Amino acid sequence: MKFSKNLAASAVALAAMALSANTAYAACASDNLPSGMDKPGGYPQRALTMVVPYGPAGGSGQVAQAMAQAVSDLTGVSINRDHKPGGSGTVGMTAFMASPADGYSVLEHIDDASSAHALDSTRPNPATDLIPLVTSQITFSQVYIRTNEDRFSDWDSFVKWVKAQNGKATIANVSKEGSMERVTMKFMTDATGMKIQQISFDKGAPRYGALAGGQVDALFEQPGDVRKFLDAGKFKPILTILKERPSAFADVPSLTDAGLDFEPLFRFRGFYTHKGVPAERVEWLKWAFQKAYCQPSYQKYNESKFMTLIESFRDTAGTQELINTTVKQYRGVYKQMGLEVK
Amino acid sequence: MDTWNNFLQGTITLFSDPIGILIFFGGVIGGMLFGAIPGVSMLTLAAILLPFTAHLSPEHGIMLFSVIYCTGVYGGAITAILFNIPGAPENAPTAFDGYPMTQNGQAGKAVGAAVMCSALGGVVSTIIMMIATAPIADWAISAFGPPEIFALVFFGLAVAASVGAKTFWKGWLSILIGLMVAVVGLDPVGGIERYDFEMPYLLAGIHFIPTILGFFAVSEIFVQAEKKVRGSYQAPKMSVDFPSLQELIAHKFAVVRSIVIGFFCGILPGIGATLAAFMGYNEAVRWSKTPEEFGKGKLEGVISSETANNAATGAAMIPLLALGLPGGALTAMMVGVFQMHDMEPGPLVFLNSADLVWVVFAAMFFANCSILLIGFLETKTIINLLRIPFQFLAPMILLLATVGAYAVRGLTIDVVVMFLAGVVGFFLRRSGYSVAGIVLGLILGKIGEQTFAQAMQMLHFEWSGFFNRPIALLLLVAGLLTLCGSIYGAFFKKASAPAPTGSDHPPEPPPPAGG
Repeated sequence: MKFSKNLAASAVALAAMALSANTAYAACASDNLPSGMDKPGGYPQRALTMVVPYGPAGGSGQVAQAMAQAVSDLTGVSINRDHKPGGSGTVGMTAFMASPADGYSVLEHIDDASSAHALDSTRPNPATDLIPLVTSQITFSQVYIRTNEDRFSDWDSFVKWVKAQNGKATIANVSKEGSMERVTMKFMTDATGMKIQQISFDKGAPRYGALAGGQVDALFEQPGDVRKFLDAGKFKPILTILKERPSAFADVPSLTDAGLDFEPLFRFRGFYTHKGVPAERVEWLKWAFQKAYCQPSYQKYNESKFMTLIESFRDTAGTQELINTTVKQYRGVYKQMGLEVK
Repeated sequence: MDTWNNFLQGTITLFSDPIGILIFFGGVIGGMLFGAIPGVSMLTLAAILLPFTAHLSPEHGIMLFSVIYCTGVYGGAITAILFNIPGAPENAPTAFDGYPMTQNGQAGKAVGAAVMCSALGGVVSTIIMMIATAPIADWAISAFGPPEIFALVFFGLAVAASVGAKTFWKGWLSILIGLMVAVVGLDPVGGIERYDFEMPYLLAGIHFIPTILGFFAVSEIFVQAEKKVRGSYQAPKMSVDFPSLQELIAHKFAVVRSIVIGFFCGILPGIGATLAAFMGYNEAVRWSKTPEEFGKGKLEGVISSETANNAATGAAMIPLLALGLPGGALTAMMVGVFQMHDMEPGPLVFLNSADLVWVVFAAMFFANCSILLIGFLETKTIINLLRIPFQFLAPMILLLATVGAYAVRGLTIDVVVMFLAGVVGFFLRRSGYSVAGIVLGLILGKIGEQTFAQAMQMLHFEWSGFFNRPIALLLLVAGLLTLCGSIYGAFFKKASAPAPTGSDHPPEPPPPAGG
């Protein structure tokens, strides 16, 4: 509870910005951009390279593939994806920073880059050390249980059951130090007074298998990643970690409904280029990536991942604001958690 | 009866469509070729083809990937046997005995056994997959959580310590070296940075593929180059003698055992064919009356490894199709193919796209059968690669290995690791340590550390929790008994044995790969 009070001021801006839930997107966010743009000085003359700091099969790999395809369809310029997984995104970021600032390299990255900078300011700040081209996915988290669960059936009965277990209840999570997941779990346990053991799975499949197989009691995840389990009726969301209920989960209680007073943290993915890239090339890249966001193929992909329930689009300034708010929010939380903030 | 009818329908659909037939055979040959070339594995082919599958029908796209999966796992055995370069990690144990067989002039026999056993393992696991996908998947994820997988890893390590090394101590030291290397990089549970020496690229950890390429391919080139300089180099003898039916029947228990192990490892999400191959090989050693012959060119070693890794392919499709849980990198890419066609693998696939599932099942069945046919036809051609003189072959192998090491993650450090492993492996092999043990320690160490931490979290940091999980307890006890058995063998049997099995100064020539 203490966290939320200290952070409310900075987080309200983010929540208000992101919580345009239930909005129908008849018009796409970058529709106002021109349908074409001249290549500045013939740039780009060859394929671009997109550094992706995660493997091809995960959420980042998939969004990179979808965006690369959309940009290529729009501009006719090929994009080679260069996956450099490892170190929670550090390896890919390091490789990207070492590449020339000529506009031929772009980086896909997630909010981990912001939280890494929040914890250690020697790590690149994506808002100032890079130029954001577009943020194309912003999503929220939920708590899931098995649909055939008979020990509890909703958030209230779950909290009651967890409290009765005296810390023996378990939830599958990605609980790396300082991660969005761990911080949000801290918010939840403080707000409810429940003690629950987090089981850390760094890969999705074993994490989802753990809930499906009854190895854990609950799962913390984003809805797009478990959509197949939701559609199949295997998993059931019992809490949406947003202030208001999004339309697709109208029957799932939100933080407000559950009486939890903290500001939600978001998972976001976006695309960046180097700070030293010539201005006219940056403008072309911004146009290409922001316009590609509204390509039908990309929109279809985002819809399939529940990425249209809250507004996912941020342009350069919007992304910088999102990152700055997030970094400020995380720094406050880390200090409260007693982590060493460098 | 339904299963049979569905299978027939899937077969008819598959072979009544000329495009489908073309894609099927393209996948069979492509998988074998890319599987056989080190580094540019079936994963490389799959990554290249992934965007193009958007233009194929869902049946064709998913069928193509499943066929590549089956034949790619087999293809990697060829270079493992002929040149000591496993085409993929799951073929590494195949090299332990396959390459010594090549050196002994039995290349044809080793490749022939790989062909037959890969086909057999694959076909059997595909049949089981067709019959019982849903119940097996449900059982696997409910019966095998982190404590059970950790116990399985412990058991595997206990067995592996007796593989390939000259002495008990060197076996365990080899495993421990592998385990130590496995902790470089981010801690898999808490994300703590370890042993990175301020080098960000080390945070990605030491990957086992460059390590395997270094230990096996590069160090082998050093060994052969040394022989060449000393004038003791002898080109491997050519042979296209396939194993006789009697020889294969003599190993029927090894085949059945490896099918069970391979299938079992394959159905566990995140475990897959690599562990299957190592476990299949380890168990062959453990059950053998002549374990000392392994690593020196024993046919059973090739049979066990290749049966197990292909048995894992059908099994890995079970959690993917029934639950949407990919067991490895290639099955994870298959999820991408499903998604490109607005589908998600999982329970709904059987409900909404039963036709597609049965086309895939039929394709996997016939892909495994075609390993037998095409494998035999190509073997006689491929073995002629051994005619290439060493001075031309060695640079080609080094080039392929370098490309392969870099291709894994696009990191230069992986190439450095490969050459370092090559140099280290060159000296370790001369001194009786087991490079196979190091590789296994590295692979299992990463899985073991993660599942141990998860198990401790699940058991609330109480060791006694293992006693409440019968499967985990059984595997831990089996591991402990194996450990006690090897200690007994090392300290008590030694006294009564006139000829010690180990020495710090092994005789020339140096022990083969894996030894």
